[in-house]
Amino acid sequence: MEAAAAVDEGLEFKWGKQKGIGGKKKDVRFYESFTFDGDEYRLYDCVLVADPSEPDSDELFVGKIIKIWEHTNKRAKHPRQVKLLWLFKPSEMPPGVVEGVPDLLANELFLASGEGPGLASVNPLDERNLQPTDEEIKSTDFVFRRAFDVGSCKVLDTIDDKISGVDVKFIFNRAGSTSKKEATPPILKIQLDVNGSADSLTPNGLSACGSVRSTEDNSNESSDCRESSSGRREGKEKFADESSNKDSSVQQSTSEHASSEASGSRGDHYDGKAQDNEVRKQFTKQKSMPAEERDSNSCEASGSKKLFTKQNSMPAGERDSNGLDERPQKKQKLDGSAIVSNGRNTNILQQSVSSDGKRDTCLFKRPREKVTGGESPPENLKKKRDLGVSVSEGKDAKTGTGKGLFKKPSFDGKLSKRSEEKIVEIDYRRDYQVTEVTPKPDASQVNSKWFRPLGGLPWEESMREAEKEEKLVLLQNLDPTYTSEEVQDIVYSALNEQCTARMIERTSVSFSHIGEALVIFNSRQAAVRAIRRLDEGCLLLSNGRPLVAAFAKINPPGKPSSSFCGHIKLQKTRRETRDTVSTSRGSQPNTLEFEMGMEWRLLRARSDHALETVSKRQLEERKTQRINFKPKLP
Amino acid sequence: MANPEEEEGEEEKYESFLSRVRRTVYVDELTPHASKSVVESAFSQFGTVKEVIFLPNYLGPKELPTGVLIEMESEQKAKAVIETVSQFPFMVAGMPRPVRASAARPAMFSDRPKKPGRRIQFRWVDPSDDEFDKAQRVKRLVRKHTAEAAFMIKKQLEEAEELAKQQSETVTTHHKKFELIDKLTHDGVAQELAGRYNMKCGPPYR
Repeated sequence: MEAAAAVDEGLEFKWGKQKGIGGKKKDVRFYESFTFDGDEYRLYDCVLVADPSEPDSDELFVGKIIKIWEHTNKRAKHPRQVKLLWLFKPSEMPPGVVEGVPDLLANELFLASGEGPGLASVNPLDERNLQPTDEEIKSTDFVFRRAFDVGSCKVLDTIDDKISGVDVKFIFNRAGSTSKKEATPPILKIQLDVNGSADSLTPNGLSACGSVRSTEDNSNESSDCRESSSGRREGKEKFADESSNKDSSVQQSTSEHASSEASGSRGDHYDGKAQDNEVRKQFTKQKSMPAEERDSNSCEASGSKKLFTKQNSMPAGERDSNGLDERPQKKQKLDGSAIVSNGRNTNILQQSVSSDGKRDTCLFKRPREKVTGGESPPENLKKKRDLGVSVSEGKDAKTGTGKGLFKKPSFDGKLSKRSEEKIVEIDYRRDYQVTEVTPKPDASQVNSKWFRPLGGLPWEESMREAEKEEKLVLLQNLDPTYTSEEVQDIVYSALNEQCTARMIERTSVSFSHIGEALVIFNSRQAAVRAIRRLDEGCLLLSNGRPLVAAFAKINPPGKPSSSFCGHIKLQKTRRETRDTVSTSRGSQPNTLEFEMGMEWRLLRARSDHALETVSKRQLEERKTQRINFKPKLP
Repeated sequence: MANPEEEEGEEEKYESFLSRVRRTVYVDELTPHASKSVVESAFSQFGTVKEVIFLPNYLGPKELPTGVLIEMESEQKAKAVIETVSQFPFMVAGMPRPVRASAARPAMFSDRPKKPGRRIQFRWVDPSDDEFDKAQRVKRLVRKHTAEAAFMIKKQLEEAEELAKQQSETVTTHHKKFELIDKLTHDGVAQELAGRYNMKCGPPYR
């Protein structure tokens, strides 16, 4: 539908496609585009706008068209209007802010976001105001990669999902298509798609991803900025330097950023190879070795555990494992996947082609240590933890690239991670069955615990005993529909601890949206470990709930000594007490006790109502704090 | 892999569990002093009671009234129980606080079988992740919520105690009054007084 062309002061003006009708009296028409003076302006285009009150000033503002409309009511002063979302130049922002912004490019623009004045404005559409923006000019003029929060006057490195009511994706995608200058975050996103489809299981795939990336200098930088800004600023310069030196490392960092949500601490560990199919299979086989798992310290990522145990069984050869023939092959692949030459990084996780040997020794060292041990598992675990800790510390700008390296392969493997976890999940059940079959000295003890019927007395005994020995942990924030076995599985696979668990029943007095379970670990240290890990890190379950753990304190056994509140015992003579029989009955309306009973019900109704309101509020609060479990991938 | 078979077995188990759930009544506000036999005999008025499971109270305050799961022989019987108990105050092993009955839910059974076909996934979130802060906040929120829940329960108990005290006072005073009047009529004092004041004093009704 096209409105009649209105010729305005000799300049051509034509409406494009009509988008909708709105306004108070339905007299406003929204459009998707319009043609003016021979140029077509579409929604979400960027335009240069001159300030009409200073006609001679050369300064032009950059705005993005987010709404175009016309009042059909001709009496309005400016019937045709355009709403622009401003992109700020550094000169337009308050000076204090600009100083703090790292890595400011000369021609950088910031997208206004957040709430506050200066976000967008409505401009009447007339010829003095609008100038078409040439694509070519733009591409050299401005770079847009970050957002400027008008409300808080800060530069944001992440762009909120909705800016001024417009979905950011509109802003990006369209912009990306029309003007090349808007490099980074959108392109990053698009790259994600590209990468996701890339063959992630081979080193070739890795390099392919890399090549796609290396063309985007901007994107690299931005990702650096993003990554570091989420953490530390001072390391940023260093990081930027480093990254500018190394192409490949930069690739990783971009993907690192992209996948930063995904694999979490996976990237910390040397599980870059995690995406190998074979490794996965290995993993499932490995899982069937309970002893190994017990000893193979709690790797936060199951992937890293795979690798670990795999390396374990490798040349050290002291561990029995299945499918040995696959190992050497795999190792090859893994080494091959370390394309990056990153000499500067001393982190053991760093896989550089040059430092392959080093890495190997590092990895070997560990299994050797472990194997040559009579190291007790806790100690081992501690070492591992330290390793993990040092890795995370090393995650500073310096080793950001290293991490990026891991993130990258794991990013590619991210897609497969989910299926990987599925496999893991499937193995839960199989696992337990397998463990029954292969009795091991420590496993048998655990077995006996499992075979105890839950909910019967034996549980209670073991629970009280566990409490005394401080092995009892309360896990909260589970999904209330989980079962005890599932909780056991979760603890097993996530924390790599065997345990028995019991879900606490949801009754009317407990809130139904928080699930709780009592977990008995095998030792106090195990319990302490688990709690610490769950506290310091975050274990996210698939419905976006992080687990909360604490030592459990349970009520001492036995019935309460005092009589039940609400049951009245009258002073009766002996004769009467003898005659009366305490029966259970529904009382009839003509008795006194009926009234009293009703009073109780009234009280209960009131407290139920109160509980409900609180519960509702809590649900709301939780909704606002939703966490994405799945990494941001299509 | 034995998965399809396992899955089928699981489904069946879960189905039978669900039907069991439908047959079960969840009874609340029961005195902790009630024994299993008392409860059983109380509810056998409605039909045969197949099983009685007491819900343990490990974490809550000691004075919390107990909950019981009562499995009847059929779903209709269970429904009948719930209806009757909801209409009239049903008192078990003491008066006047009535119990409360509602349909049982799967989450109430601690030994329930797994819901078939459900896969749980997890991932560790590391501190450099965007989500880490959010996750920490959610954890704090959860702790706050549990504290709130505990507080609510405490309040409930306090209110219940108040009401109980109040009721017991009224009952005892009523009882005393009745006793007094009873004694009077019994002793004939009432009749005497009636004669004195030229009033009629009807025969005491028992």
